[in-house]
Amino acid sequence: MATTYEAIATVTVGSGGAAEIEFTSIPATFTDLSLLISARSERAQSSDNIDIFFNASTADRTDRALRGSGTVAVSYTTSNGHIGYIPAASDTANTFGSTLVYIPNYAGSANKSFSADVVMENNSAANGGAFMVLDAGLWSQTTAITSIKLITTSGAGSDFVQHSTATLYGIKNS
Amino acid sequence: MPAGLTYEPIATTTVAGSSTASVSFTGISGSYTDIVFVCDIDGSTDDSTRIRFNSDSATNYSQTNLRGDGSTAESTRSSSIAQISLGVADSTNQTNVIGSINNYSNSTTYKTVLLRANNPAEVVAARVGLWRSTSAITGIEFFIASPGNWVAGSTFTLYGIKAA
Amino acid sequence: MSPITELIGGAKAYGWGSFAAVGDFESIATVSVGGGGAADVEFTSIPATFTHLQIRFIARSARSGFADDPIDMQINGDTGANYATHTLNGDGSIATAGAGASISYFRCGRMTAATAGASTFGVGVIDILDYANTNKYRTVRTLTGEDNNGDGLVSLFSGLYQSTTAVTSIKLFSGTGANNFVQYSAFALYGIRSA
Repeated sequence: MATTYEAIATVTVGSGGAAEIEFTSIPATFTDLSLLISARSERAQSSDNIDIFFNASTADRTDRALRGSGTVAVSYTTSNGHIGYIPAASDTANTFGSTLVYIPNYAGSANKSFSADVVMENNSAANGGAFMVLDAGLWSQTTAITSIKLITTSGAGSDFVQHSTATLYGIKNS
Repeated sequence: MPAGLTYEPIATTTVAGSSTASVSFTGISGSYTDIVFVCDIDGSTDDSTRIRFNSDSATNYSQTNLRGDGSTAESTRSSSIAQISLGVADSTNQTNVIGSINNYSNSTTYKTVLLRANNPAEVVAARVGLWRSTSAITGIEFFIASPGNWVAGSTFTLYGIKAA
Repeated sequence: MSPITELIGGAKAYGWGSFAAVGDFESIATVSVGGGGAADVEFTSIPATFTHLQIRFIARSARSGFADDPIDMQINGDTGANYATHTLNGDGSIATAGAGASISYFRCGRMTAATAGASTFGVGVIDILDYANTNKYRTVRTLTGEDNNGDGLVSLFSGLYQSTTAVTSIKLFSGTGANNFVQYSAFALYGIRSA
């Protein structure tokens, strides 16, 4: 008997890090998907962006976001897959971000809008010391989502570090 | 005898046709602790999707919003209104709302809704809404402001979460 | 290094003989505040058998002279300056952000208080990912709010607990001093498994 809230797969980054975290062959048997991500970047700066893409495509991704950066609240849009921030090498050691992504009707025939709540921590009260984001994301494709890829924006030298984790959950509406 | 689930679907409605402006869930069981609702919607026009409870259309609602439109971060409030606004059902893009009504079935407290509303074309928001009634929630109506309708395929789903 | 990917499909089945599926979201414990109130709410002896924790709550404070009160958290009984917190808030008028570092708590909720309309409570959902992972500090994310028909607050909070020790206890309390949670406040702890 299928359950309502079910872990589909977990990725745990090993020693040496990982340039990306990917879930493939996502079954179409659920209604919604949820991702819980605890990640950190090796980027030699404070914070790194975390991006999400679908079905091996980096196209057709837009986001509208609300961000707090310690003392300032702003709103912005992006078109590069960026949903928020994770800690990086200059941030408090051993600190990983906390991200919730919720994708309703991921296997349906409409464009895919999703919700992302993305926070990172750092033992700093300065503006820019840490970031928290409420994100409204969109993948403007009517194809069912069969794969999800997470990357950091900064490219080479900004792998996800060891102990970063991501778990994909399926939620079934009946 | 199968063990009970903590997280269970209650009901789901998928809009068919092109003239649906209201979706109602009635006879909601009081056997859960919290309700989670998920709306994945597309509108015929850019009109506000709203929620109200137990057929109460009086001005017994209010809400506080934290929102960003892509250029401005702001907060707004509405008091003594006839419904809680979830967000705009956009006519060009899919939008979604994920909300939680904690302790929806107790008969002691007013009912507070906490939700995330995501319209990638216009607004990202977190909203908290109040229904000033101690009645257990047994009915939930989602509706869209006139003259809008939802596009076929829009979905509304309720889940129940049961605490120990 | 190539990414590590695991895919485990199909439903889990375990339980009493008849392969009853219980899902990966499970209730652990609930605290409901009775008459007389409670100075704090604490979950103890949290098992390490899950991957993530979630707390879902409704709450009201006895804080006198105010319509709202924040909720703070400490972990594993640690009252030292081992925490940090960040906030993104809407008060009905403006959006603001805040932060605190090297403090003895972090912020994890909003609730109404004594001068708020009767029967009005704040609500929230608190997530603690990888709570038993001894390679990480704890980062806690909360979505929370309270509305009082004319005032209210909605917030995204994050909190940092600088310890790699597995979380075995969580204490929640008023962020403004010795203010009780009032009767009918309720906190439910859930465990979430990974694949």
